[in-house]
Amino acid sequence: MGVEAPNEFKLNNPPTDGVSAVKFSPVSPQFLLVSSWDCSVRLYDTNNNSMRIKYTHSAPVLDCCFYDTVHSYSGGLDKALKTYDFNTSTETIVGHHEQPIRCVEYCPDVNVIVTGSWDSTVKLWDPRAPCSAGSFSQPDKVYTLSLCGDKLVVGTAGRRVLVWDLRNMGYVQQRRESSLKYQTRCIRCFPNKQGYVLSSIEARVAVEYMDPSPEVQKKKYAFKCHRIKEDGVEKIFPVNAVAFHGSFNTFATGGSDGFVNIWDGFNKKRLCQFHRYPTSIASLSFSSDGTLLAIASSYMYEGGEKENVPEDAVYIRKVSDAETKPK
Amino acid sequence: MGRKKKKQMKPWCWYCNREFDDEKILIQHQKAKHFKCHICHKKLYTGPGLSIHCMQVHKEKVDKVPNALPGRHNIDIEIYGMEGIPEEDMKAHEKEKAGKDGVQPKKSETEAGPSTYTTPGLLPTPGTMPPGMPPMPTTTASGMAPMPHMMHGHMGPVPPMGPMGPMGPMGHMPPMGHMVPNGPMPPMPMQMMPSTMSRMPTNMPVKPLFPAAGQTKVTLSSAPVGPDFKPTMSMPGMSSASGMVRPTFPAYSTSSASSVSMATSISAKATISAAPTIKKPESSSGMAIKLVHPDEDISLEEMRASLPKYQMMMEGNRAPTSVVSPMPATSMASPQMSMPAGMMSGPPRSMSMPMPMQPGAPMMMMPPRPGMPPMPPMAAVPQSMPMSMAYPYPPGMMRPPMSQPGCRF
Repeated sequence: MGVEAPNEFKLNNPPTDGVSAVKFSPVSPQFLLVSSWDCSVRLYDTNNNSMRIKYTHSAPVLDCCFYDTVHSYSGGLDKALKTYDFNTSTETIVGHHEQPIRCVEYCPDVNVIVTGSWDSTVKLWDPRAPCSAGSFSQPDKVYTLSLCGDKLVVGTAGRRVLVWDLRNMGYVQQRRESSLKYQTRCIRCFPNKQGYVLSSIEARVAVEYMDPSPEVQKKKYAFKCHRIKEDGVEKIFPVNAVAFHGSFNTFATGGSDGFVNIWDGFNKKRLCQFHRYPTSIASLSFSSDGTLLAIASSYMYEGGEKENVPEDAVYIRKVSDAETKPK
Repeated sequence: MGRKKKKQMKPWCWYCNREFDDEKILIQHQKAKHFKCHICHKKLYTGPGLSIHCMQVHKEKVDKVPNALPGRHNIDIEIYGMEGIPEEDMKAHEKEKAGKDGVQPKKSETEAGPSTYTTPGLLPTPGTMPPGMPPMPTTTASGMAPMPHMMHGHMGPVPPMGPMGPMGPMGHMPPMGHMVPNGPMPPMPMQMMPSTMSRMPTNMPVKPLFPAAGQTKVTLSSAPVGPDFKPTMSMPGMSSASGMVRPTFPAYSTSSASSVSMATSISAKATISAAPTIKKPESSSGMAIKLVHPDEDISLEEMRASLPKYQMMMEGNRAPTSVVSPMPATSMASPQMSMPAGMMSGPPRSMSMPMPMQPGAPMMMMPPRPGMPPMPPMAAVPQSMPMSMAYPYPPGMMRPPMSQPGCRF
């Protein structure tokens, strides 16, 4: 099935357990941050395919992000938010949640680190101190969050979606219910800030708009994807990962079927599908210049513990405009 | 039966079984749907053509014809329009078509031919089995074995499907998960009911179009849009809590403004919508379906974290272990590492303080930690500005000028 194409390669020295997140540097396609269930956060150099830095938490790491070119933030089952300075190789615990940290993102517009946790809070952290700058309760465990300028979109258990304004966290700007019937898996905002894409465990993706006015809301829609029909059974896979191309506003989705699709959300078109990867797509990230797509292929225990699962791998794929640009 | 050989067979697509009026259109369809290169969108002429194109031009192997039915995605068979279709498939298709015509007249043809034996099904009074009934399932089974499911799926919402015999009721049925034969279905006296239903074993996998509605036993019999599923489960809590009645929750296509619950509802916490277990998804294709996800409605990560091997790590030490990378010094010495050394402050344009917050607003401040500088005093941001999202960039200042209008959207 999966045939390695010449336009992609596997990272050397990959994590030794499931990959939880891949994030490209905000400025350079050269650097990729990878967090893993093996408790590590690794920095890779994609130019010469080497691992540059690795640091660890005391428990599996569920998410990580770049703050600037030389600092990362990461959090996971150890409930601690950690920052790491690549230059001095020093790490600092910035603070804790009461439950594992599921999401870590940096918001350049407001200069704040945002963490979401299973303790049903989102916390903001001032990266200059660094210290906590506030804790905001959410209706349920936070499963995913995404930033869109100074807007924060939080997806929780129970299919809730909350839109916060990072400049005024006094109240929730919008409370929504997911328009998909099943558990929310991933939310990512359009780079043009018009809306967000929400994926669910039931092989479906919704394109939603921020503007609550009826005529804008009319444009929202959802579609099915990441389904495989074989042997008379239609298998429906969780859509684990969504990543936006920074300049084209197109997005890639990755499912537990091992496929990566690229979509033009505004024209409702699929732009392309890559070959099938060995196992579930756990995370995706476009490089800042949109030329590379990092693809984490890593079994996610959808079918429970298994023997002989394909090894965890991160692929770096060169993507062309033909694959990512709206037609 | 009146009309026979009404039409000769229409051209049809071997890959997806779709029929066309004209072979030209069929060929267009095949080029667009089955022979299109997913990378450059070039339309090829045949499956092997596509395969060779992808291999030569993109160095990618395509091993299946896209958008093809299971069993029909063989890329090596050369089919162009109606040419090249394997003989047996051709025959099977003809047979199926013939069979279908007999058993499946269109809605508009209710009174016509085949209804000689189907019509009785419409007439019986509740409870009595019409004499004409028993043979019908058999006919159906023999004539078009794989079809009935599909028919249900697609035709569910069409209310009175007369002559479909045992299937007719689907149109009227409140979509309840698995049909309980004697359950809440009083409002259908005219259909031959419970007894018939219970003798349709193959119906069970057929999913209702609106499963959520099924759970709540609300009879929205033939709402045309499947997706408007939300409604009632969370409604009572929500409406009473927020003191306003919302018609429905945002569905795929609801257009009213109510579809976005705005910040006005402060107490949305009162609603409960998450089920402890995941309900089975419905199938649109009529095939059996399998959701590749554990049954509990928690995230894969939570599930995985509960595995003993990870639990041990979590319980281990909450204190940071500070395991430092094995290779920090050497790696950092690498010349390509073009990072500004000692860059401490954030990215250029963010000179701002953390963020404006509102004292007394419903949020919890972290207890100050030792070493944590006091929070900058925060100005009260007027609550009455729901659209305060509209600050233009760049932020620059800590407190965005509240008076600035402007909307990015």
